[in-house]
Amino acid sequence: MNSPSATATQSAMGSLHSPIDGTATIELEVNGVGVTRRVNARLSLADFLRERLDLTGTHLGCEHGVCGACTVVLNDEAVRSCLILAVQADGSRITTIEGLAETDHDGQIISIHPIQRAMQEAHGFQCAFCAPGFLMTALCFLERNPAPTRAQIREEISGNLCRCTGYQSIIAGVETAVEIMAADRREGAQDA
Amino acid sequence: MREAVAGRYIGQRVRRVEDQRLLTGRGSFVADVEPEGTVHAAFVRSPFANANIVSIDHSVASRAKGVVAIYTGAEICLLTNPFIPFSNLPGQFTPPFWALAVDRVRFVGDPVAVVLAYSRALAEDAAELVEIEYQELTPVVSIDDALRTDSEPIWPAAGSNILYEAADQFGEVDEAFRKADRVFTETFTSHRLSNQPLETRGCVAEVDPESDEVVFHAATQAGHALRWTLAAVTARQSAVKSIRALAGNRGRLKAFARGAKAALAGTGDQLKKADSSGTIHQIRKDPRTLLYLGRSFLGTLSAERFPRVVAKDIGGGFGSKGPVSREDAVILAVAMELNRSVKWIEDRVENLTDGGQARDERLTISFAVQDDGTILGMKANLVMNQGAYPGVPFNCGLFSRIMKVMLPGTYRIDAFRLDTTVVASNKGRYIPYRGPWANETWARERMLDVVARELGMSATQLRLKNMYHPSELPAKMITGPTLDPTMTAATTLQRAIELAEPAAFAAKQEDARSRGRLLGIGFATYHEAAPGPPDYTDAVTPGVGALLAEKSEISLEADGTVTIRTQQMPHGQSHETTYAQVAADQLGVPMEQVRLVWGDTKNTPFGIMGTGGSRGGPIGGGAVQFSSRALRTKILDQAADLLEANVNDLEIVDGNIHVRGVPAKGKSFAEVAAAAASAGGGIGDEPAITAEFTYNGPPQGGWACATHVCWVEIDPDTGFVTIPRYLVVEDCGEMINPAIVEGQVRGGVAQGIGAVLYEKTNYDEFGNLQSSTYMDYLMPTAMEIPEIELHHLETPSEVEANYRGVGEGGAIGAPPALTNAIENALAHLGVRITEQHLPPHRILELTGVIKPNVASR
Repeated sequence: MNSPSATATQSAMGSLHSPIDGTATIELEVNGVGVTRRVNARLSLADFLRERLDLTGTHLGCEHGVCGACTVVLNDEAVRSCLILAVQADGSRITTIEGLAETDHDGQIISIHPIQRAMQEAHGFQCAFCAPGFLMTALCFLERNPAPTRAQIREEISGNLCRCTGYQSIIAGVETAVEIMAADRREGAQDA
Repeated sequence: MREAVAGRYIGQRVRRVEDQRLLTGRGSFVADVEPEGTVHAAFVRSPFANANIVSIDHSVASRAKGVVAIYTGAEICLLTNPFIPFSNLPGQFTPPFWALAVDRVRFVGDPVAVVLAYSRALAEDAAELVEIEYQELTPVVSIDDALRTDSEPIWPAAGSNILYEAADQFGEVDEAFRKADRVFTETFTSHRLSNQPLETRGCVAEVDPESDEVVFHAATQAGHALRWTLAAVTARQSAVKSIRALAGNRGRLKAFARGAKAALAGTGDQLKKADSSGTIHQIRKDPRTLLYLGRSFLGTLSAERFPRVVAKDIGGGFGSKGPVSREDAVILAVAMELNRSVKWIEDRVENLTDGGQARDERLTISFAVQDDGTILGMKANLVMNQGAYPGVPFNCGLFSRIMKVMLPGTYRIDAFRLDTTVVASNKGRYIPYRGPWANETWARERMLDVVARELGMSATQLRLKNMYHPSELPAKMITGPTLDPTMTAATTLQRAIELAEPAAFAAKQEDARSRGRLLGIGFATYHEAAPGPPDYTDAVTPGVGALLAEKSEISLEADGTVTIRTQQMPHGQSHETTYAQVAADQLGVPMEQVRLVWGDTKNTPFGIMGTGGSRGGPIGGGAVQFSSRALRTKILDQAADLLEANVNDLEIVDGNIHVRGVPAKGKSFAEVAAAAASAGGGIGDEPAITAEFTYNGPPQGGWACATHVCWVEIDPDTGFVTIPRYLVVEDCGEMINPAIVEGQVRGGVAQGIGAVLYEKTNYDEFGNLQSSTYMDYLMPTAMEIPEIELHHLETPSEVEANYRGVGEGGAIGAPPALTNAIENALAHLGVRITEQHLPPHRILELTGVIKPNVASR
């Protein structure tokens, strides 16, 4: 019944680790802020973000890498934070859902990301427990492919589960995001 | 009569208020709650379906790193009362049971012990060290296992594994079957599946060691029902002690009397109809029930600590977060015992095992028909597999009664008989899942296709021939409920036929077959009692209507904003948006000025139902509408004083209250609030003006109706089913927010498609769960769910607040439409679909490409 517990004691990235107490010190950048923490070697990246950094926007849906709710961006790639150990993220750059909107020093939102705006316009989600994972997934593939077809969108988000919507509104939301981001780029180009 | 409303918001695709926090990672789900000093729980669960517990040794586990305490079933018995059956039908036996297994386990995953440690990981480590010796018993898994006369009762007090039997007859059934030209009979089997919200179950019992306050943070669809059930289960003290405590606390007793009076206000007539013979039968079968009832009741009245339930954001439920979990009671009991906060967040394996499962029913249906297709009568035999532990507060009994009422559907059927059996088995808990009665629609709509095929008629013509048409309404279903003119099923079917053009499809299908391609089309039509007429609840089970009225409280705050308090528990249905739309239109204010308060039993009105039964729009929305109107009247009275004007001359535009045509001299809501507060002697913290309204739907009721049409193409080599087109024509009356309605319908259809093609809670013959991860329990992804076309028929009505339910219908309509389409595609091969789960290998078995493997079913 218990989720499989990770037993690795060594960071893939060669961080400082103590073989005696099974902990290691990691340094990474999360949402643009540098953090250094001593962590248990078996701590998942998801638990690290949620419990050690209090970034509870990243959600755990299945803890075995299927549902995608815990997806975060690690060095420009969408990864499942339930399947990655915190020590494996040593030295990396992480973006979570909390890092999408532009905020002031107090963490108040100044402006939301076009993907967030688009999902709101399209009524993308219902309970939205899965939303952080979808948004981080979409963010990454729109970086790679800013003008996807509907079929491509469907395939790209098919690694994330949503139980509420039947996906149609999420696909519509990504299409809206593509439009908004293209318009923003055109505007940016004109300004330049 | 309807009152004309400016209608700035109702009917608009207003963006969701909820998204501001949910899309930015700023929501607050139960897993995000962690009070100072919290310890974490992990459950030790049974690996056997049916076994006696011989011994439990947790001496090693107790010494493991970080362990605070371990409790077994024997210890939980000293801290809690058992769960006692709540809704007993005449003749039904519902076993009382403990929060942890005590001397016997009854399904794989049955919680046997709980380990508390400084982190969840440490608790899980230690849970693996608890040594339990079991003596295995013969498992009872399938409906046939349970019906065998020699199967050992899972609950010995029941005497057998049959917990409930009923026979209901309406009209002259035997005569109808004697007179009929033809009689057709078929047995339909639906598999077990699971609700699977993306957020699992979980709770945090927050205990303040310095005070009596206990806050139970939960992901629940029904906070008040959870609160009272938990109070009853955790109030474990002797009756003598309770009576002494009560004698010393008369204030408490008075508070309860007040609460009970408020909860039962206006429901006396309803309650008088209730039949208590079920409870008496229960006590006769198991006399301990009386002891437990008395102890729980007195304990609840007198316990020192009484939980307050708080829920914020909830990650979906689909029925699974309405029932009270045994784990909830364990966590609350041990938190109070340890006098510290305890947190439990279920993992996915636990959720697939013990988070609730549904359906698992067998329905035999016979139709007596004339050669021209006229239906004379219907007989049905229903068997439901309740699993090991009954759901709380509602178990299979209640859902079987809903099926009883709904089985004749939207058709003129003047003779109907239903035999019902509920059995116990060594499977997980049967709980409601989105349209808990849905299999009546599936089996009936499937059977109508079978009858049409046998008679050589088109399935849609057979339906139209027998369906109530608008001109025939009002009419009464043979099972009791009145069908008023909102029952527009026939209109939805006619519109669906126009859009789907089944005749043209038939030619295309024929052509495709000649080239080896398998195409099919399927229709299904249903109606849903949301809100339903008043005689609907009486038909289900007399007296149950008393539980369903809903109160909305509303207040004008000192700053001029408006607060609505609801017993609804939003978990994806966007209540914050739709209720603000409804109230803002009534009050004439921008919806940003309206705030919804929900989820905290301390400051929301009492209601047993929470969110369920597709009632959020029809009942909850109506309650908001009428309470808003009551508040508007009070605000206008206050403003008339301020403006020295006649109240009938006042209007409200954009939050400005003024004499019609003289906006410059208007008063804002804040000014009226200030005046009301000073008149009331308030100091500005309390609401300035309050109003409330208790509502149980319009006097005529109302039905939500839809027809679903599904097209399939089946690969003859792989058995893989694809859905090139899917269409829904639905009528839910007036839509508060069409985008939200569409999301509800599409989401329901997706779950129905998942049920047929992918999802199955699979037990082997020994009761071992074979689908405890998402590698085995297949959840549909974006690749599997097609685009779903929606057509709305907003049938106007004289009914005010003509909002009808849309939460469940999608999941009700999809399985029959899809299975009908699959049979339609395979009809020329002689295939008849009598089961609901049709993965590729099963299609290939049915088409004779591979040999049937019975064990795989």
